[in-house]
Amino acid sequence: MKNIAETVVIGGGIIGCGISYYLAKKGVSVICLEGSDFIGNGGSSRNGGGVRQSGRDPRELPLVMYGIKNYWPTLSEELEVDCEYHQDGNLRLGKNEKHKKILEGLTERAVKVGLDVRMIDGDEVRRINPYLSDEVTCASWCPTDGHANPLTTTLGYYKSARRLGVRFITGEKAVELKKIKGKLRKVICESGNVYEGETIVLAAGFESRKIAETIGIDIPMQKILLEALVTEAEPHLFDQMLGTAEADFYGHQTKHGSFVFGGSSGHEGFTEIYETPFSYSKTAPCVCRGIIKYFPNLLNAKIVRTWAGWMDQCLDGVPVLGNVEEVPGLVLACGFSGHGFGIAPGAASQIAELITEGKTTVDLSALHYDRFKAKI
Amino acid sequence: MINDRSRDIGPFVPADDDDMLICRCEEVTKGEIRRAVHEGMWTITEIRRYLRAGMGLCQGQTCSRLVKGIAAKELGVSPAELEPATSRVPMRPIEMRIFANEIKEGEEV
Amino acid sequence: MKRYDLIIVGAGPSGLSAAIEAAKRGLEVVVFDENEKPGGQLFKQIHKFFGSKEHRAKTRGFVIGKELLEEADKAGVKVELDAAVIGLYQDKEVVVKIGDGIKHFKGDSIIIATGAAENMVTFPGWTLPGVIGAGAAQTMINLHGVLPGKRVLMLGTGNVGLVVSFQLMQCGCEVAALADAAPRVGGYGVHAAKVARCGVPFYLSHTIVKAEGEDRVTGVTIAEVDKNFKFIPGTEKYFDVDTICLAVGLSPMSQLLKMAGCKMEDNPKRGGQVPLCDKYGRTSLPGVIAAGDVSGIEEASSAMIEGRMAGLIAAEYLGFIEKEELDGELERLEKSLKELRQGMFAPKNRGKAVEKTDEGIDISENLLKKGYVADDEIERYPGVIHKIGVHPVIECTQNIPCNPCQDACPKGCISIGDNITSLPIAVNDSQCINCGMCVASCSGQAIFLVDEDCGGGFASVTLPYEFLPLPKEGTKGKALGRNGKPACDAEVVSVKSMKAFDKTNLLTVKVPKEYAMKARFFKAEP
Repeated sequence: MKNIAETVVIGGGIIGCGISYYLAKKGVSVICLEGSDFIGNGGSSRNGGGVRQSGRDPRELPLVMYGIKNYWPTLSEELEVDCEYHQDGNLRLGKNEKHKKILEGLTERAVKVGLDVRMIDGDEVRRINPYLSDEVTCASWCPTDGHANPLTTTLGYYKSARRLGVRFITGEKAVELKKIKGKLRKVICESGNVYEGETIVLAAGFESRKIAETIGIDIPMQKILLEALVTEAEPHLFDQMLGTAEADFYGHQTKHGSFVFGGSSGHEGFTEIYETPFSYSKTAPCVCRGIIKYFPNLLNAKIVRTWAGWMDQCLDGVPVLGNVEEVPGLVLACGFSGHGFGIAPGAASQIAELITEGKTTVDLSALHYDRFKAKI
Repeated sequence: MINDRSRDIGPFVPADDDDMLICRCEEVTKGEIRRAVHEGMWTITEIRRYLRAGMGLCQGQTCSRLVKGIAAKELGVSPAELEPATSRVPMRPIEMRIFANEIKEGEEV
Repeated sequence: MKRYDLIIVGAGPSGLSAAIEAAKRGLEVVVFDENEKPGGQLFKQIHKFFGSKEHRAKTRGFVIGKELLEEADKAGVKVELDAAVIGLYQDKEVVVKIGDGIKHFKGDSIIIATGAAENMVTFPGWTLPGVIGAGAAQTMINLHGVLPGKRVLMLGTGNVGLVVSFQLMQCGCEVAALADAAPRVGGYGVHAAKVARCGVPFYLSHTIVKAEGEDRVTGVTIAEVDKNFKFIPGTEKYFDVDTICLAVGLSPMSQLLKMAGCKMEDNPKRGGQVPLCDKYGRTSLPGVIAAGDVSGIEEASSAMIEGRMAGLIAAEYLGFIEKEELDGELERLEKSLKELRQGMFAPKNRGKAVEKTDEGIDISENLLKKGYVADDEIERYPGVIHKIGVHPVIECTQNIPCNPCQDACPKGCISIGDNITSLPIAVNDSQCINCGMCVASCSGQAIFLVDEDCGGGFASVTLPYEFLPLPKEGTKGKALGRNGKPACDAEVVSVKSMKAFDKTNLLTVKVPKEYAMKARFFKAEP
């Protein structure tokens, strides 16, 4: 089989699979290369499932709002998989004045971009979610936010793209990009295999940085360990997505009944970097303590699994999306900074649009690679 | 291992025992597992993430070997070629209040 | 954070053995086990172990467990029970659930001795209550004193299936049949023979078609399979049972090693996913050692040796002993381990059809197909001779690593020689004194004392008997053949239960002369 397609996508996460899917839908031939042995093995399978607009940077907000309006509500039917999408709102919880200030700031910025989000007090929080403890005194409330199942959604994109003829190759680690006659053309893999395309999409999460360096592009992002835990199935309690001002934890109850909570120990960014993301022994206990304060009745819920994953934390916390003028043929879709899941359908569809039509419905200019400037 | 997911593994053929439970914790049937393989889930990890097989209370202690056998047969490979899913903390389900309670050395339990 | 020289996960045979060796050399050792009692699987092993004296052969498993615990205690090992290790993290950190909380510990070395878990097979109805692992059944009867059911079908004729079938019968369960998809009995012939002579039918090349029952097992249908393990229509057999025991192998519980980033391999010969390690158990993580079933399924005797090796490796790794001492000890232990890994059932022979013994004698076809040696096959083995007066008849027909019978006889009537797996030979010119030590010492219950002509047209047969109630002298009943079918009338003429026999009672029955070489079990008249 020839290793040539119109587009070669590097990265088989939700972004890579999504882009492959929307391209294939438009009739573009695609090869998608995944470096690990598994589809969706990075952040795509290691996130809290938030499909959230509130709390986001205004530069990426239009893109996620676009996705929530146009893709999420019908994604399960489209991908023929249960994405378990719930649009039951997001509560970002606060317990004190400091939290309130943080939340008010976020809310104010989002309202400016046209998002329906507002501050509510503790009583209203508990009207929405009666299981929250009295410690919660305020929250930002965005009724159009929600959550979904990152595993089935990612694999759903993969399944549907594969059915449309996208050639997925796992265990094929891209290590070098190569221009031919001034235009990016080749992807060279660790195996020695070479893939060629008119467009090369780099959607390999943090790994994108090393690959981009081979063509003289430096994406300022850093690898940060994030962790999460899952409980056994519990009786149904609530459908909202939750977060906190302090970011002690975030998460939701899944359709299955288990609670998925992400959280941090405060050591993030300074944990040792291993080849694989290992759980940090201090994190899960800390996250549990955090959760219990908000949800006293989850005291006896049993944790069945914890996991860790790398996030591709970009310098300014928003993704790098779009063409790179210095390297014709290169399209970047990485640096999602730990909140790439909810934005994925919007981002993927827009990148596909960019490749096929040369322009996008949502203005991506604020997310361009050339945005990085020195501070003074 | 390089794995071209466009390789033809033949069509999904329904079988009599497709409704047999394989993962008891998450109630996943043999037919669901076989179908998932034909939908592109060629690794135990993907099957697990797609169907939840092996994600329950026993964390796959009982079914992982069975799932492996079924998937391998569908793919026409030896079960040993399929890597088992990752193992994760905790080894046994643990209540949140217990996990949260870090006892320091010298403290009474 | 509390740091130990050595943290051991699992207080089973290998973990305890490792702890003993390490603590003896001065290491501060802690052993964590999630169970409320230590000993792993040892305490439910009520049968006598195989091997040589060094391997504590003819000692019952639970006794070995007690001895190990005493030894560990004396060596200063700390055993923490009800302490589930929930994670092995980087930098050899272990998190343990203790009481209502968790504790973090670090070890300068770690030994993972977590053992194995039972495999399952699927068939319609396999999730019904009443379908259980054979090991689980053994735990129920021998540790908790609870019967899993009244009538049992055992799937699997490996040693676990055979031993547990026998123990279920000892507890008063009826074993309706043993079935195995394989064409040959997988476990020791002597284990099979002691089950078969109780009248349990063996169905090789048979497996379960279906477990019957709505909300629990009320029966089971098995059928014959062809070479490709496909059912042969018309061969179905139904059994009215309330319990189905599955003895279809074990898988290493190697998850802790995997989560810590240890390099793993999938090795069907070792039973599944195991850490890549050298022959002493050193894994890819420095200072992390695997011992026992977690690194490859074997049995308790080899697990204990592997454990000792691991303990010594840790001692040397941390500078508590010199390399010379380690090498010397390892050499000794390796020799002992090698002995256990000899013979027909050696790991290297797994899956192979061995047709002849090392001595060149044909293996009994009947033993492999039906679980017992046929009357016309038994004569070809060197343990079976005919002579005047009482003499041992040793029905040990496969090369297995076991030799207590040789030492048990004070008169030299039994010879195995230096090679522990050789078939025992009944020595023709030695004089048997009818002491019964050989009968009681045989872990396989394969030795009988026979007087082919004790006068009046009768013969006497002394057989090992481990059932209750113990028949009394004068009890009349039937002598059963090796096939478990009534052979002739019989009367108990003597019952011996000595301390030295360690609960193996010796029943001497009188049978018509022509049944001297056929009568091998006794069933009292109801």
